[in-house]
Amino acid sequence: MSNKLLTGDGRTHIESKLMRESLQNRDVIGDTDSIKDRRILPDITVVSIGGQSIFDRGKAAIIPLSEELATLHNSREHAMLIAVGGGTRVRHTAAVALDLGLPTGGVAQLVGAMEELNAVILNSLLAQHGSITMPRDHFWDLPLYMNSGILPIVISVPPYHFWEPPAEVGQMPAHRSDFGVYQQAEVLGTSHVIYIKDEDGLYNKDPKEHDDAVLFEKIALDELLENPPETNMIDWAVFTSWKTGKNVKKIQIISGLNPGQLTKALAGEDVGTVITKD
Amino acid sequence: MSERKSLNDLGPAAISESGIAPGDYNPVAIMPDMRVVKLGGQSLLDRGRKALFPVLDELVAARKVGIPILIGTGGGTRARHIYSVASELELPTGVLAKLGSYVPMQNARMVQMLTAKHGGIYIMDDDFEKLPLYVQMGCLPIMTGMPPFGYWEKRDQNSRIPPNRTDAGVFLSAEFLGCNRVIYIKDEDGLFTDDPKKNKDATHIPRISADELIERDLDDLIVERVVIKYLKRSKWVKELQVVNGLKPGEVTKALNGENNGTIIYRD
Repeated sequence: MSNKLLTGDGRTHIESKLMRESLQNRDVIGDTDSIKDRRILPDITVVSIGGQSIFDRGKAAIIPLSEELATLHNSREHAMLIAVGGGTRVRHTAAVALDLGLPTGGVAQLVGAMEELNAVILNSLLAQHGSITMPRDHFWDLPLYMNSGILPIVISVPPYHFWEPPAEVGQMPAHRSDFGVYQQAEVLGTSHVIYIKDEDGLYNKDPKEHDDAVLFEKIALDELLENPPETNMIDWAVFTSWKTGKNVKKIQIISGLNPGQLTKALAGEDVGTVITKD
Repeated sequence: MSERKSLNDLGPAAISESGIAPGDYNPVAIMPDMRVVKLGGQSLLDRGRKALFPVLDELVAARKVGIPILIGTGGGTRARHIYSVASELELPTGVLAKLGSYVPMQNARMVQMLTAKHGGIYIMDDDFEKLPLYVQMGCLPIMTGMPPFGYWEKRDQNSRIPPNRTDAGVFLSAEFLGCNRVIYIKDEDGLFTDDPKKNKDATHIPRISADELIERDLDDLIVERVVIKYLKRSKWVKELQVVNGLKPGEVTKALNGENNGTIIYRD
């Protein structure tokens, strides 16, 4: 590395490997890569709570899960970052917005507010145990929270806002809550992400509609990508992005309607669906 | 166990994972008359006064005759320097995207200081909804070209550099606003068969389709690769125009809708 300023071609450069180079050039950008990404906060487990699957079921689903979270947090055995989804209000927002003809970026800009609501709901239940709603990009504060016994709650949807890229199919933003949770875990360098839904795990088709749906118990990411389920319980962008990711090693999908599942998952047990990546 | 509470009436349109039925979707253009313009970082700003002032003169002149313009700025050599430091430390792409957002922000602020007397105004992502105000007041809004993905930027296959940088951010601004064309002001006449800075035999390409460009599978490109990908599936943006800011008059022509430079179009 150097601190030299160079001129002579009409521009002023700082000497670096990328100086004067096109960042579109494959060889140039290839040189920036390596086999791993640095893990910033490796000991955190990111726990996602589904909007439709948990919050939209109301008290009967939310209370037992929040109690389990409180117990787990009070044990101080696990460093958790909780991410909440928005659920049916997100779908309603999108339905109205698209009927009005708003662009994909407009939908993306709107939906986060519906997740904020669930963050406030969950925080109302867990504040007495030390929870806090954290603006999602304030994660440089996480060491402070973790060392002070605080349980941070964030919204899930990534902050792509008006700049959400056009989707391959349709008008819905491709980068949604499940993806946002995965990506936050990836950049923090955590290795384990747990998605809490209202099914025992990931099935080959929607178990709510098909009696013969088969649960994936343990599956490798590559295998899953080759055999995508008919209906996706998790945003597919999670898996396509995970393919190029370096840090997350295990994604687990469990039922939040079965008390104890989260405790087992955090203890490293293979409950629900365990998806692994080499 | 209680059932999920869902809103039975999901509004006027039934929604699926991909949205509403294409026939039911009648997109609304938000601000279709805007000229969304990117000022190159390495290609213009790093060249300093000599390159930048004439370009700003043309932008201000166009604004004064009533052409609504939104400027997004690129990063340049300081962004390359921090990407280089961060790559050596093996920091994740999301962190690089965050780091990469500061330099275009500085550049936007420099352009604002220079154009303040002509209505130049620095806007942040959260000010985006105030664009109509700035336009109606005759201002020249200037923002970072970097999209706000930051830590949520996805990793590329064989690179640590964020794939969505300022070309992408400016494109996506135009797409949201419902504009048909995005103007990239750089230091070359547009697209060439090879890097004209390194190969003297490279020839200029005045017009090329996105498909053709993808098919050529060039090792280097004048705009970020994702932009070409987005152009293939955008609802509004149909053309990218790359013009040479070092040649007087080129920016004005582009702002007036002429087809100078290189046009990359969707079939």
